[in-house]
Amino acid sequence: MTLSSFLRMGGYARFLWPAYGITFAVVILNIVWARRLIARARTEALRRLAVHGESS
Amino acid sequence: MTWTWFHRLASPPHVYRLAQKLTPWFAWPAGILILAALYDGLVLAPPDYQQGDGFRILYVHAPSAYMSVLVYMTMATAAAVGLIWRMKVAHAVAASCAPVGASFTATALLTGMLWGRPMWGTYWEWDPRLTSELLLFFIYLGYMGLRSAFDDVQRADRASAVLAVVGAVDVPIIHYSVVWWNSLHQPASLLRFGKPTIFISMLIPLLMMFLGFTLLFAALLLTRLRGEILRRERTASWIEQAVTS
Amino acid sequence: MSVTAITVAGHEDAPSAFTVARLALARDLTLAYRKREQLIQPLAFFAIVTTLFPLAITPELSGLRPIAAGVLWVAALLSALLALEFLFRDDSHDGTLEQYALSGRSLTWLLFAKTAAHWALTGVPLALVAPLAAAALGAPISAAPGIVVSIAIGTVALSLIGAIGAALTLGVKRSGALLSLLTLPLSVPIVIFGARATELALKGESYAAPVELLAAIAVLGLTLAPLAAAAAVRISLE
Repeated sequence: MTLSSFLRMGGYARFLWPAYGITFAVVILNIVWARRLIARARTEALRRLAVHGESS
Repeated sequence: MTWTWFHRLASPPHVYRLAQKLTPWFAWPAGILILAALYDGLVLAPPDYQQGDGFRILYVHAPSAYMSVLVYMTMATAAAVGLIWRMKVAHAVAASCAPVGASFTATALLTGMLWGRPMWGTYWEWDPRLTSELLLFFIYLGYMGLRSAFDDVQRADRASAVLAVVGAVDVPIIHYSVVWWNSLHQPASLLRFGKPTIFISMLIPLLMMFLGFTLLFAALLLTRLRGEILRRERTASWIEQAVTS
Repeated sequence: MSVTAITVAGHEDAPSAFTVARLALARDLTLAYRKREQLIQPLAFFAIVTTLFPLAITPELSGLRPIAAGVLWVAALLSALLALEFLFRDDSHDGTLEQYALSGRSLTWLLFAKTAAHWALTGVPLALVAPLAAAALGAPISAAPGIVVSIAIGTVALSLIGAIGAALTLGVKRSGALLSLLTLPLSVPIVIFGARATELALKGESYAAPVELLAAIAVLGLTLAPLAAAAAVRISLE
């Protein structure tokens, strides 16, 4: 199997590759989203702790 | 009675630390499995007799559809646990599930449409699978819409939990009614586009994908859950140690 | 009709949940009767929506007959949705709902009574008016009994599942769209079986099978929906 025949996917390329593309875009998006969520939650928590630390 | 493990799950700091420890154990195997399944499914598996290489869309469509249902059932179970045992952590789990589930439902729809176009000629057909996925997508949207309608987290948790449980009872009924509805109008001559006749060589990458996606969901859930717990627990004493470690 | 009659009535006698429910039902029906001109509104909406389809598609009865069952059901569903907003509105505004929840009587039974009243005031009239709308869409008069039965049973299930949605969105401002988004996907089985039953009735064929499925859903709703609605009301009142 050559690279070009692999990419052609028997003629279904213009449906198959977007399908794979969308799926993996969604996977990556979910990963990024989850990591951003926890990172933001941590910075918020640190900020809250700093405020409380000063006022206490 | 060894219920202590269950009761410890009600403690946010315990769950936070547990999630932190477990995440890499799900994340890395997930990545390896999915990549291996990709190679197996795209390169090694032979083309289908009827659908040629086109059937390989199955390797992303089926796992997405599977995820949409797996995530919903997890969400509904967590919601029920939260309602019955009044566990805040369970509600946090449910909240973490929804966006993941909705995004994979949308993926299932889009990949289903891309599979349908070469197979039956149009991007959309009201076939039972796509129609059920569409309805599930609306249910996810309703769940997230209900959550965002309340400022009070507790009320959002509990109202959406009732909705999730009601949905869990209804979703099988919806699916059955859609299948029934679709079967009424099957013109006999139409070539039914279903799954290709599966051989073992085609099945293994699919199973690997299913397992890989399951592990991915676990990793995503644990990560999001940690973020949710941090947000909800506000200034609890254990947080300082948890975020600075 | 005094709420206290329902909530306080004879602690010593401890009225059964059923008696309490009966009183609540009577109360809702009486209150609705005092504003009976408002009962026309869902019916008028149903008539208008039904009228829109010929205007949007074709005036030919031959072209309308094939879609008549679907049009009837979509119009009925939308009318039921519209009427749902009034299920809890007055009672939550004047504190009656809170009294119900605090009364120590079974909130499940009270909500069952309210839903029954709602169905009697909206679903039943819809079912009775539907054959007229169907005739306007080219249906034969002989189909009337089937139309009435299918829509009457279907609206029972609709009122029940709608009550859950209405309870969940209590106090949410401008909840109309959200209520629709919550209720409509969950109502799909009702629409599928109900429309099928109506379609068979229009064709003059036996509609027993889908009606039985519809009735099964209604029964499931009767047992589970008031429970879920009661839980939702309690959550809303916290």
